[in-house]
Amino acid sequence: MTATLDPFKFWKEMYEKTESTWRSSIQNTLGTEQFAQSLGQIQNQYVQYQELIKTLTESYLKEANIPSREEVAKVASLIINVDTKVDDLEDLIYEQKETTSNEIDQLKKDVSNLEQKLDQVLELLKK
Amino acid sequence: MLASDLKSPADESLKKVKRLTEVFVMEPEPQVGQTPKEVIWTKNKAKLYRYQPAVKKTNKVPILMIYALINKPYILDLYPGNSLIEHLSNKGHDVYLLDWGVPGYEDRHMKLDDYIVDYIPHAIKKVLRKSKAKEITLLGYCIGGTMSTIFTALNPHLPIRNLVLLTSPIDFTDAGLFTKWLDKRYFQLDKLVDTLGNIPFEMIDFGNKLLSPISTTYGPYVSIVDRVEDDNFVLNWKLMQKWLNDGVPFPGEAYRQWIREFYQENKLINDELEIRGERVRLANIKANLLNISATRDNIALPNQVAPLNDKVSSQNKTLHSVETGHISVVTGRKAIKEIHPYIENWINENSK
Repeated sequence: MTATLDPFKFWKEMYEKTESTWRSSIQNTLGTEQFAQSLGQIQNQYVQYQELIKTLTESYLKEANIPSREEVAKVASLIINVDTKVDDLEDLIYEQKETTSNEIDQLKKDVSNLEQKLDQVLELLKK
Repeated sequence: MLASDLKSPADESLKKVKRLTEVFVMEPEPQVGQTPKEVIWTKNKAKLYRYQPAVKKTNKVPILMIYALINKPYILDLYPGNSLIEHLSNKGHDVYLLDWGVPGYEDRHMKLDDYIVDYIPHAIKKVLRKSKAKEITLLGYCIGGTMSTIFTALNPHLPIRNLVLLTSPIDFTDAGLFTKWLDKRYFQLDKLVDTLGNIPFEMIDFGNKLLSPISTTYGPYVSIVDRVEDDNFVLNWKLMQKWLNDGVPFPGEAYRQWIREFYQENKLINDELEIRGERVRLANIKANLLNISATRDNIALPNQVAPLNDKVSSQNKTLHSVETGHISVVTGRKAIKEIHPYIENWINENSK
């Protein structure tokens, strides 16, 4: 007889029983108006706490003459702007290059056509 | 015999504890995103990758993948043998992916408009240049698919041949529990964004886990304990846990817009959404459409995904339903066996 307790098996059985027993009642609770309302209240408290921390930290950093997250972000934004401008320039150069090379190709064709026509004129003049 | 029978379960338990310790403490995290790639363009934190498998690229229409802003994109290239990108690349497709990167505090003012108007068109231009192709296939997953849809609707003149969407919510009339939780009367959206700047990943993860609290918090641990001796299961479990816990913050203004204009006001499906002052009309979409929904998806419900097909003007449109969850659409046994080949086959058929 194998009577030794397997804690993992016990845990799994407990989970499965809890899950199947409570699933529908939990889902019903999660879908109620009251739950949404209480979630909103918890969120409100969390945001208020975060706001307090933010204000305190910012005033401390200002007093200690240390740049705040806001100020560091401003510098980062300036770098991003430069990066965007470089990217735009790169695009512009590529497009200009493409246009120029198309124009040169067209010019080559025109010159070659002209040459052919001149050859024809010369031929006719010789006759 | 009796003595050994009594001893055996305890031995098994000890073996399990030893193996679990190895899994949780000793072993390194599995490496993700292993398909070889090169970065062909960067903008701010975003990177555009071109995948470089050993196979020759034989399909003439390149694929650009656009992923959601709130997670890391390696779910599309999770692990060798379990990767949509690897599968498509190995079939000769020229695959690109736009990785949004991790937004910093300086990116909190970024709106969906910025990503849709300033990033996606540039990425498409780069893809067309690099692959020397005339048309493109856009493949979007989750919110990335919603963004791809908006982009395609705004740019009907661009050469988007195919639009492939994987579990991308479009209609927010009934978004399940989120409709209740994000109700304007209770959810302090403006206060939240104004205070936090970017919305932390943990907060979004909490919301997703709350959809099914017991199975998402305890479930994974019960399953790993149960099948810890199956190496393949352990690997896949670790990969999924890594991805699930490795999210990025949602840029503040994009989040404000996503919650207000999509969840609370349901503007997209009603043609009321404006991006940089331009009205998004889904009927403008003429590209071939493959729209995939998952029956067990509780993040993008099938009823949020399906209505797109009735709105677009595409001659060729397919709504394909699969019996999986939100993530198993792109990774896992069913995805490897059925969904990846289905997507590849559809793209192939519509790229000739």
